Amino acid sequence: MPIWNTGEECLDVEERAQLQLERLQSTLNRAYRNVPFYRNRMQDQGIEPSQIEALADLRQIPFTAREDFSENYPYGLFAVPLRDVVRIHTAQGTSLKPTVSGFTKPDLAVWREMVARALFAAGVSKPDILQIDVDPGLINWGRAYKDGAEAIESSVIPLTILTPEKQLMLLRDYKTSVLITSQSAARQMMHLVFRVNLNPNELALKTVILVGEPPDIEIQNRLRDELHVKPWVHYGLSEVPGPALAFECEARQGLHVSEDHCFPEVVDPATGGAVPEGEPGELVLTTLTTRAFPLVRYRTGDRVRLVPGACSCGRSLSRIEWLPTRTDDMRVIRGVKVHHQQILYLLERALGVLPPHYRFLIRSEDLRDFLEVWLKVDEALFSDEVKEMEKLCLRLGRELTQELGVPVKIRLKEEGSFHSSKPSRHIDDLRERLSSES
Amino acid sequence: MLRVRNLKCYYGKIRAINGVSLSVRQGELIALIGANGAGKSTLLQAICGLLSHWDGQILFEKEPLKGLKPPAIVQRGVSLVPEGRLLFAPMSVLDNLKLGAYLRYRKRDHQRIAEDLENVMELFPVLRERAEQAAGTLSGGEQQMLAIARALMARPRLLLLDEPSMGLAPFLVRLILDTLVQLKEQGMTILLIEQNARAALQIADRGYVLENGQIVLDGAAGDLLADQDVKRAYLGKDYREFYEGRA
Repeated sequence: MPIWNTGEECLDVEERAQLQLERLQSTLNRAYRNVPFYRNRMQDQGIEPSQIEALADLRQIPFTAREDFSENYPYGLFAVPLRDVVRIHTAQGTSLKPTVSGFTKPDLAVWREMVARALFAAGVSKPDILQIDVDPGLINWGRAYKDGAEAIESSVIPLTILTPEKQLMLLRDYKTSVLITSQSAARQMMHLVFRVNLNPNELALKTVILVGEPPDIEIQNRLRDELHVKPWVHYGLSEVPGPALAFECEARQGLHVSEDHCFPEVVDPATGGAVPEGEPGELVLTTLTTRAFPLVRYRTGDRVRLVPGACSCGRSLSRIEWLPTRTDDMRVIRGVKVHHQQILYLLERALGVLPPHYRFLIRSEDLRDFLEVWLKVDEALFSDEVKEMEKLCLRLGRELTQELGVPVKIRLKEEGSFHSSKPSRHIDDLRERLSSES
Repeated sequence: MLRVRNLKCYYGKIRAINGVSLSVRQGELIALIGANGAGKSTLLQAICGLLSHWDGQILFEKEPLKGLKPPAIVQRGVSLVPEGRLLFAPMSVLDNLKLGAYLRYRKRDHQRIAEDLENVMELFPVLRERAEQAAGTLSGGEQQMLAIARALMARPRLLLLDEPSMGLAPFLVRLILDTLVQLKEQGMTILLIEQNARAALQIADRGYVLENGQIVLDGAAGDLLADQDVKRAYLGKDYREFYEGRA
C-alpha cells in the first residue's frame, strides 16, 4: 500500500504522542504570546501554557468557535506579522464577515505535504492526470489540491469554473484519471455521463476523490459499479484551513487524521466533555504546526467517531468515521458550508431591510444541488411590473451565489406558501434522494 | 533516545526553564537555539545531572535520569562537551583524553580505550601531533577539538554540546561543525546548543527555538532556517524592518 511519508505516518504511537505534546506546547506558547484572543481566553480561565503538561490537559483550554473568526476579523487571530504571511485565504463565515486565514511559507509546505500524503494513499502517482472540479465556495481547496498533486508530480488540470458539460468534455478529452470533486458534483457528473450516452469505459477515469461532504455509501457504490472508478473520501475544513486533514487508505476502515499536524478530540457537543473512545461526538481540532493561523480547540461542527485499534495499512495515524449529520445548524451544499444567519445578513444588505418572511431550502434539479430562498411578496418587494420582480430575483440570486459560493435561486411567494407565521431558523433539506434517480 | 517532558528548572525561586518538552531520536542531530539567558545551558545541565533542582521527566533510552549523579549518566551513554571546554589546562592532551575514559578504566576496558584513543586522533589529527603538549597551550580551535574528543572517549551514544563555536574563528567553526556531521554519519546522536543559529540549523535534522525558558518553535531545520521569526531573532535580520511599512 502506498505511503507518502512512512517516517511520519507510521511513527511509533508513543513517539508520536511525544511529538504532539512538543508541538502542542510550542503552538500554545506562540498563540499565548502573539494572539491576544487566545491569551485573554487562557487568562480568563487562569491557565498558562506551561500548565499543559499532557495532551489530555488541552481540555482545560476553552473552545474556539466559528463566531470567534468574525469577532477577530480580519487578522486578529494571526500569530505572525503580516509581512510573514505569503497567502491569505477567505472562507464563508456565519456573518457578513468572512473567515480569514493566513499561511507562512512553511505553512504552505505543511499543507502541500498533507494533501500529497492523502492523494498518495488513494494511489495517485506521477503518471496520473488530475482534474479539480469543485464549486467556487471551495476554491481554496482547489489550490491546495493543485499544490499537493504537483508535489507528487502528477499532471494537474487546475480548478476552472466550467459548466458540468465542459467539465465532462475535459474529463473525456484530456484523459483525466483522477477527479477531485464533491459528492454532489460527482453524482451530477455520473448522471451526465449517462444522459449524453457516453460509455464509461471510454473514460480514463479510475479514481474519484470526494471532498466536502460526509460519505454517502450509495453514491460511492454507484460510482464503483456504474463508472467503474474507485471513490476515496477526504475530510477537510475551509477554516483551519485546508482539505485532506483526514483521508481514506486502502483498508477503508475510517479516515486517517494527519495528527502530526492537527490534534483531534471528539467531544460531546452538549457538554463539551470528551466522549468514550469509539462513541460519536463533535470533532474538535487543534493545529500543531501552523505558524500564521494557529487554531486551538476549534469546534468543527462535524460529527465523527474515533475508530479504535490499529489499521492494517500500517499507518499509526488515528482514524475517524465521518458521520452524516452535523452538530450545528450549518448545512453543506456541494461541499460548501452555509448558515441561515449568513443568508439573512446577505438578504438584509441587498434589500436594505430584513425580510419579514422567508424560507431557505436545499433542492436539486437535474441532480444539481442549489439553495432556494423563498421571500414573501410584501409591499417592499411588490412591483406592478413582473419584469421588475424578475430582475430583483435575478439580482438577489446573483449576489447570494457570488457570496455563498453555491448556486442560489430566489422565489417570491405569497403568504399562503409559508407553513408557519414565524420565519424558519433553519435550512430545510429537500434534496432528491439517490433512490429516486434510478 | 532522549525524551524531555515538561521540564521546569529552578535557580532558587527563579524558574529558568518553564515546561520544556523535546526529543532526540536515534541518529538525529538536533539543534537547540535561543538567545543568551533563554535557558539552553540549564537544559543541558539538567540532562547531565549537573542540576538537581528540576521537575518533569527526562528519559534516556526510556529510563528516567532523575536522581542520577553525573558519572552514572555518563555511564548510561550521555556525554557533555561543556561551554568554555573546561579542560584540565596543565595536563597533557593525552591525559585529558584518558580522563574522558576515566569511568571505563575502572571496568578495565583498556583494549577498547586504546582503540578509541586511536579513533579520536584520527578524527582530529592535530591532537596526535600535540599529544604531549599541555592542553592550556592549545589554540581555541584545538581546545574545542580536545573537548569533543574527551567527551567521545566515554563512548557516548548521545553527545551534548554547549556552544562549541564560542570564540572561534569562522573557519574553525566550520571545521568543528563538519566534525559533528562526520560523527552523525558514523551513527552518533547529537544535541547541539548554539548561538550561531544559522550554522547549527544548516547541519541539523530538526531544531527547537527556546525563548525565556519555553519552546516557541520547532520543526525541520530547513523550515526553521526559512522561518521569518527565526531570521528576525537569530539570523541577523533587523527586527524593526519587519514591522515598518506593514502592521
